[in-house]
Amino acid sequence: MIELIGVSKRFGETAAVDDISLRVERGELCVLVGTSGCGKSTTLRMINRLIEHSDGEIHIDGQQIRDFREETLRRRMGYAIQSTGLFPHWTVARNIGLVPRLLKWPPARIRERVEELMAMLGLSMDEFAGKYPRQLSGGQAQRVGVARALAADPDILLMDEPFGALDPITRETLQQELRELQARLQKTIVFVTHDMDEALRLADRLVVMDGGRIRQQGHPLELLREPADAFVESLLGGEDRGLKEAALLTVGERMMPLSPRLLPRERISRHATLREALSMMLWRHAERLAVVDDEDMPVGELSLRQLVGAKHHE
Amino acid sequence: MSEAVSRRVSRGGTRWLVPLAWSLVLLSACVGMPWLEGLFRLVEPDSRSVIYARADFLTLLGRHLLVVAVAALAAVIIGVGAAVAVTRCAGRDFLPLVAQLASIGQTFPPVAVLALAVPVLGFGTLPIIVALLLYGLLPIVRNTLAGLEGVDPGVREAARGMGMTGGQLLRQVELPLAAPVILAGIRTSVTINIATAAIGATVGASNLGDPIISGIVNGNTAYVLQGALLIGLLALTVDSVFARLQPAAA
Amino acid sequence: MSRGVNEEKGNRNVPRPNVVLLSLLMATLVAWCGLDAVSVAPNRIVPGQGHAAWDVAGWSGLVIGLVPMLAVLALAWRPDRQRLRWALGLVVAMLAALPAWLALAAAQLVDADLPQARMGVGAGGWVGLFLLLLALIELRTRLSLSRPLGWSLLLVPLVSLVGWLTFGLEPLALRQEFLARRDGFIAAIAEHLLLVGAAVGISLVLGVVLALAMRRWARCRTFGFAVLNFLQTIPSLALFGLLLAPLAWLGAHVEWLAALGVSGIGAAPALLALVGYSLLPMVRNTFVALDEVDPGVIDAARGMGMSRGQVFRQVRLPLAAPVILEGVRITTVQAIGLTAVAALIGAGGLGTFIFQGLGQAAMDMVLLGALPILVMALIADALLGALTELTRQGEAT
Repeated sequence: MIELIGVSKRFGETAAVDDISLRVERGELCVLVGTSGCGKSTTLRMINRLIEHSDGEIHIDGQQIRDFREETLRRRMGYAIQSTGLFPHWTVARNIGLVPRLLKWPPARIRERVEELMAMLGLSMDEFAGKYPRQLSGGQAQRVGVARALAADPDILLMDEPFGALDPITRETLQQELRELQARLQKTIVFVTHDMDEALRLADRLVVMDGGRIRQQGHPLELLREPADAFVESLLGGEDRGLKEAALLTVGERMMPLSPRLLPRERISRHATLREALSMMLWRHAERLAVVDDEDMPVGELSLRQLVGAKHHE
Repeated sequence: MSEAVSRRVSRGGTRWLVPLAWSLVLLSACVGMPWLEGLFRLVEPDSRSVIYARADFLTLLGRHLLVVAVAALAAVIIGVGAAVAVTRCAGRDFLPLVAQLASIGQTFPPVAVLALAVPVLGFGTLPIIVALLLYGLLPIVRNTLAGLEGVDPGVREAARGMGMTGGQLLRQVELPLAAPVILAGIRTSVTINIATAAIGATVGASNLGDPIISGIVNGNTAYVLQGALLIGLLALTVDSVFARLQPAAA
Repeated sequence: MSRGVNEEKGNRNVPRPNVVLLSLLMATLVAWCGLDAVSVAPNRIVPGQGHAAWDVAGWSGLVIGLVPMLAVLALAWRPDRQRLRWALGLVVAMLAALPAWLALAAAQLVDADLPQARMGVGAGGWVGLFLLLLALIELRTRLSLSRPLGWSLLLVPLVSLVGWLTFGLEPLALRQEFLARRDGFIAAIAEHLLLVGAAVGISLVLGVVLALAMRRWARCRTFGFAVLNFLQTIPSLALFGLLLAPLAWLGAHVEWLAALGVSGIGAAPALLALVGYSLLPMVRNTFVALDEVDPGVIDAARGMGMSRGQVFRQVRLPLAAPVILEGVRITTVQAIGLTAVAALIGAGGLGTFIFQGLGQAAMDMVLLGALPILVMALIADALLGALTELTRQGEAT
């Protein structure tokens, strides 16, 4: 658990971060989002003391972060950044084993852990272990970066625009992988991005920042439905908000039981988003879709009226 | 990876062949110079002696190497130390001055530095070592600064974010990454110092410059050639060692 | 915990002490009080008798001299821009006062009845001068003054030095040494400049030709750089020596070469070796400069219908000029130093004074040779550096 109470950071006269309070529960993925210069990165870097905060208190599991030695604190947290920061003179395996080595794990255990992590992130041991960072593609390098951040199995993961430099397709793949990883590992993650779609896709808790202050925080749906002010609203995409919200809801949540009527020809997975369902209706000129489960067995149906109307009942 | 590995393997066996060959040539030239008397006689038919005999060539080589090595060692320790110190938090204030000094200092001709050291320190081996040390510092400081500043800030940030201490960051990340550039600086420094040490023969140091100076003074071209040959070989030998140490990429 | 907070408050209200200036001035103070500021000798050969700063005007004089140093120290303690400007003024004033102080010292310490008596600057004086110059550089950087402005600041002490050298300071050893061999000195400077100029000129022409050839033929490139690197590695004294024998032979056996003045010793081997050394930086910079012109620009020029020759003369060459000039700068500075060594094989120049002085243990003569070389190198570096900047600016607009 991470807790920030009335935290500020001043550089000379200007406040980069101004009196913010934030609580990230264990296992929660908290996304800080905002335009560049809004203080989101500064906030993140105050948590592992790469920047010292000027005022207020930051607690990790109830303990003040200043009670730890800086290095001890940082070794307890994973840290992944946009430029990956992989050490160019070390192999992939050695890069991933960095923090365990700092923590003086026995070599056998480090090797084991590196293998485990590479498997987890879909990097083949034979192919990648001996490679150097410059031999990797952007997506591979970022996977190694995430693996390195996870190496010592920290409870907390800090990620500063880790996917910012990737092409859209790779980025989406890695976002998906991060969600799956998070579902399995239940880390406490603070994630910084300026990409609202990425934020909405990943966040359990969305924190919108501007001018060093928190404009609004809560579940992404809360923000979408009740933006606190015009700024949050425009950041969330203004007129696109409906589609963004639809992207956060699944077909399974909205479908109706199977009716006696003829089952529609067009099928959609119950895990698909409402946005995908709407797109399929538009594309196939269909007002009704059959909803199927993982075994491709029909479990319900979804009509355009339900899709649209259902939202108003929420 | 395979590329790097194969390069390493192929270098493993043969990489020291060139420096080894040069040093063998150098040593045999030192030892075998008297046997070349006939050859030098051609250059200097009228002189009484054509082989420099005031001191053994091996001794001169040893002294030359010793002076250069002591100066280089001290210059590396002080130079890298200073550059590291001014790139740490505590010493950052000194960075602009040291960087400027290193670049202005390199316009000073080494001979002038050597000449200026004598009035202050007197004749002999010590002033030469000090002059070589002072002059040799500059390229080392300059390159170490360039190497350290050249480390990707993302790498440094990640290293700190992962919980590396300042010392670990320096030893495991910054210095290894800057090593090729630092090595290039040391190479420049040593090359200049071998040349300057030879001129040091004029201020009372006894080394491979001796035969040249004495040959010029006495009008004996054979002496000059012997000294020049050996200094040239020494420079090439040392340079080939550095060429091996330095990765091809740098 | 409170560390960060305090730092910040410190930052906001008062600037942190300038540690660099503090340490430089402290060191100046110690050097000035602890080392011999001047030395006085009854004649040229006898080693001088050292005198500390307080020997000149007693303790009160010393205290007066220390006031500006203490003032700079005080200003550096809480340095804002205004205070740094004051400090800069004080440092320049101290530098300008140094010759005056030397004149005072000469009047006090040198026995007027001994015409041969001379006064040299001692370790304390040199170290003090060096440290004050460092302080000047530091202040120039902190105040981010431009290079020309920084140089012009040095004019004040220079004018003062020239003035005092002309109208006082008769016993200063360097001045006496200069007066004793005024003609030789001026001739030596001319020789030195001539050799450097010839070497740089020849290697500029050769260098550009070689670089063009290397661009055309790849094999020429590998081979050429290998040879030039090899040459650069050979120590200067050795190269001068190695050239001695073949040139002596040529001079003795080929008449028209002998008529041209080619012989084992003298300017011929010196020039040859200087050109050899100068070629590497010249060729390397020219090659890199021509090679690294943005291909997009060349492409555009071709696309507009410029001929190959036009592209080269109007686009590639002007864009490459700053880097080529950089090569000229490196070459010139290097040649100024190497020409000094060439004095050993009878090429003349200021090196003659250095080696003669070393031979006679006459340190003032060594200084008379070494200091102008140093100054020449600095001036060449500054001028050519400024010229490079100028071509860069032209490129930007």
